[in-house]
Amino acid sequence: MTATTDARATQEVRWGGLLAAAQGGDARAYDTLLREVTPRIRSLCRNRLRDTAEVEDAVQDTLLTLHALRHTYDPERPFGPWITTIATRRAIDRLRRHGRAGGRESNIDDLPEIAAAVAPVAEERLAARNLRDAVAQLPESQRTALRLAKLEDLSLVEASARSGLSVGALKVATHRAMQTLRRRFGASE
Amino acid sequence: MRTDDLIARLSTGLVPVKRVTPPMLAALGWLALALAVVSVGVAIAGFRHDIEQRLMLMHEQVNLAAALLTGTAAAIAAFHLALPDRSNRWALLPLPFAVFWISGLGWGCVTEFVEQGWPALGTSFSCMSFIMGFGVPLTLAMLWMTRHAAPIRPAPVAALAGLAAAAIASIGLSLSHHLDAAAMVLIWHGGSVLLVMLLSQRWGARAMCALGP
Repeated sequence: MTATTDARATQEVRWGGLLAAAQGGDARAYDTLLREVTPRIRSLCRNRLRDTAEVEDAVQDTLLTLHALRHTYDPERPFGPWITTIATRRAIDRLRRHGRAGGRESNIDDLPEIAAAVAPVAEERLAARNLRDAVAQLPESQRTALRLAKLEDLSLVEASARSGLSVGALKVATHRAMQTLRRRFGASE
Repeated sequence: MRTDDLIARLSTGLVPVKRVTPPMLAALGWLALALAVVSVGVAIAGFRHDIEQRLMLMHEQVNLAAALLTGTAAAIAAFHLALPDRSNRWALLPLPFAVFWISGLGWGCVTEFVEQGWPALGTSFSCMSFIMGFGVPLTLAMLWMTRHAAPIRPAPVAALAGLAAAAIASIGLSLSHHLDAAAMVLIWHGGSVLLVMLLSQRWGARAMCALGP
């Protein structure tokens, strides 16, 4: 823990030095600083935002603010609080700007219970409509056989009596209807 | 745009920048300006006719000192708070002085009420125009000096700027304007200071942005 804290403090001292050099116009030091500090900024933004794209936007906002405020850094003071305030501020701005869509608040459509309640209903309705369309396109004999044997759940004898088709013809028609529907909806045999 | 591209773009053609003035130094600079401007205002308006007697009164001395301390503390707090690495707690610095100032005026109201009964209240728009007339430009001066606070915490910095400017303007008003009843001072001085502070808090961020990068 102490080793981690020490490493972090050393890193911040280095970053402070790089920013001090950048204030003097050292572009190379500035480029190094921005590349090294970006993961820290990303981590700070992730504490406030959830969506990956939002986090990256907040990181870029932070870099732009860092650039605009680089003259406010005092090399005599620690770098950590300076960058933390800027990154946190930009992440909070993102949260406020996008409200429902970003951050800790969830899009209602993403909630599992809402998705479970809404999506299957829509999917079932679509599937039922497709099935009705597919059944309607079957030949008359297959459609009748399917209706009697599968939908009305009649025995072959009863279905034969109702339709006037032989039991064998009913079997063949039902089988072919099922094969057609399976092919249509991509189900395995 | 990818973050790596943004970094490359920001580093390319980097120009040297001048560091902001340290906050204590900036606060002292602004206070010197504010006191000079208000002194000119008092010189133009003239001291109130009973200035010598007023300055001998203890409650008047306390009132002036409390206003000066509130304005000074608010200015110091504003310049500190304008920097990203300073604690939000700087905003609390003027609070004890402001409470002391307002409670002193409130206590004056109570003693006057006990001694003389309900005071004659009236309007004193000249008080408001003095505090607004000096407070608003001095607030704008501080907003310009703290404009780097715009992307970080504009509202609290602007509120403190308004408080500092109006408190200093109130000192000038106390020296030039004849207003004895503590209740009137509380309503018109305190109310005007609050108004400048609220206006600055509401519009300060826009003013900072408009005043330049």
